[in-house]
Amino acid sequence: MAARGHVVASLLILCFLAGPCYGKRLFSSLKQTLDVTASPTQGQVLEAGEAKITVTWGLNRTLPAGTDSAYKKIKVKLCYAPISQKDRGWRKTEDDLSRDKTCQHDVVSRPYDASNTSTQSFEWTVQKDVPTATYFVRAYALDANGDEVAYGQTTDAAKTKNLFQIKGMSGRHASLDICSAVFSAFSVVSLFVFFYIEKRKGRVSQSKIEMTGQ
Amino acid sequence: MVRYHVHDDRATVFRPLSLASPHMLAFHLAWLNLFSCFFSTFSIPPLLPVIRHHLHLTPTDIGNAGIASFVGSIFSRLLMGPTCDLVGPRIASGTLSLLTAPVILATAFVSTPQSFITIRFLVGFSLANFVSNQFWMTSMFAPSIVGLANGLAAGWANAGSGVTQLVMPLVYSLIINFNVPSSMAWRLAFVVPAIFQAITGILVLAFGQDLPSGKYVRTKTQKTEGENVFKIVLEGLSNYRGWVLGLVYGFSFGVELTTDNNIAQYFYDRFNLNIEVAGSIAASFGVANLFSRPMGGVISDGLGRRFGMRGRLWGLWVVQTVAGLLCILLGRLNSLWSSILVMCAFSVFVQAAGGVIFGVVPFVSKRSLGVISGMTGSGGTIGAVVTQTLLFSGAHLSKQTSISLMGIMMVLCTVPVSFLYFPQWGGMFCGPSSDPDSPEDNYHLLDSG
Repeated sequence: MAARGHVVASLLILCFLAGPCYGKRLFSSLKQTLDVTASPTQGQVLEAGEAKITVTWGLNRTLPAGTDSAYKKIKVKLCYAPISQKDRGWRKTEDDLSRDKTCQHDVVSRPYDASNTSTQSFEWTVQKDVPTATYFVRAYALDANGDEVAYGQTTDAAKTKNLFQIKGMSGRHASLDICSAVFSAFSVVSLFVFFYIEKRKGRVSQSKIEMTGQ
Repeated sequence: MVRYHVHDDRATVFRPLSLASPHMLAFHLAWLNLFSCFFSTFSIPPLLPVIRHHLHLTPTDIGNAGIASFVGSIFSRLLMGPTCDLVGPRIASGTLSLLTAPVILATAFVSTPQSFITIRFLVGFSLANFVSNQFWMTSMFAPSIVGLANGLAAGWANAGSGVTQLVMPLVYSLIINFNVPSSMAWRLAFVVPAIFQAITGILVLAFGQDLPSGKYVRTKTQKTEGENVFKIVLEGLSNYRGWVLGLVYGFSFGVELTTDNNIAQYFYDRFNLNIEVAGSIAASFGVANLFSRPMGGVISDGLGRRFGMRGRLWGLWVVQTVAGLLCILLGRLNSLWSSILVMCAFSVFVQAAGGVIFGVVPFVSKRSLGVISGMTGSGGTIGAVVTQTLLFSGAHLSKQTSISLMGIMMVLCTVPVSFLYFPQWGGMFCGPSSDPDSPEDNYHLLDSG
């Protein structure tokens, strides 16, 4: 009896800790209803911190009106293409949206107005900490609870078209290099200064011994 | 009377809160210096979630860098022994710290996976200060408390590998707060371990003292013993117990090193934590060294008093097997809190095992103590290289499976403890032989005094 109680308790705790067991958002359950385009062309290389990307999104015109009645917010994100995900578990695509790591960089978040049928756009300066990789752009539509209900992306379902590259900042800076070099020199020089002092002390005490010895 | 280095005036009491020169001052300088070396060597793993983005690293690169960090320390530890013999522990350890401080700072220059691996290889050299640390403590403290001094110096220094996992992400976050881009922030963060290491190196050189009587000099006795060095080394190498202990230490300290290298990333990736939280969890693994390693030595001594060598060996087997079982369990768990709890228990047992092993090492051979200690110590880093290579390099095994497999390897490689047999004191299953005065070896090392 106690064992069964144990099992139930641990299952409950697991469930609690693993996230709500109900309402797990799956990517496969989302509908692709948004049309998203981005300014970079296929294979274009952009510089992090400098280049600008213009993203345009809107509801797909061929869909019946009212499809977007639940959408309250649009979140646009920069996502890794499969080639940049290869062999890197920390960028893995998973169906469970809470564990999915495909899209790790936020571009913009805007409230969605269903009555406004025109497309919206945003010009984004690629953030400085975006690393070197191949990307595409995806927009999620969120409902009033903040849960994803639909999406749209600049590439196809297999994520092979319209991929662009971003070259990340190396982070090296002349001032940092100079400080490091100065410090290293100090470290090594202080070692030799120490040896010199030791030797001089040895010579002084040696001459003292010689003097008192006489 | 035990003869270590002919000198005496070694301390017979241990006062941890005193800074009295020369014994306690040496103790504090030694453990602080080695602490800074562990701090530097393991300052890179907690920042890996950031570094791997900016250097475009694959899991294979990260694994190879981890292996490189241990390989660097294998060679340097082997070289450190003779160096201490030549120039004394103070100059050896201070010089090493000052020369490797620029290396950890050079991490700021790294921009390719290859240079990343090279840097980790070179930084690993600083771990050779473990040898000079233990050498220095043995010169300063009498046999009655040398085990305690050695264990505390090693344990408190080892905690550096834990503290760094907590501090480095915090330093990184602090720098980020000043609107520095993350690709520069992680480079800047390595200023902290570099400066710390240089300071401790300078302190050792300025205030340290090799021996209670003064500076280190090679005595005549040691020089005549030089002719027998080859014989001593051969004697040590041909003693099977040294190899067994090396293997066992490889799967306690070696496993501890590999875990230090991988645990922050494991928690970051598996449980979706942020870098500071993953770092603080990883820190609690290493910080346990403050008490668990000395505790292992104390347990070994206690068991030795009550049950003799048989007690020490059984204690070793039990502690390390439990550590292995906990490691297997760690890989099987799916929830964050149970993983943390099991990891904490695992850390205490695996580190205590290290302490228990060095409670057995002094009894293996008197004349070849240095060689046996070296074999055991190197076995530790070699074990780290083996586990890191087999289990944590490349993407073919999930991290959870790797951790569990490491636990299985630990349990299996602790079985050889049962093969250890000392004619004077017995082994795990057999009592002492009927002829305790076998003339072959001077087993009798540490008297009660």
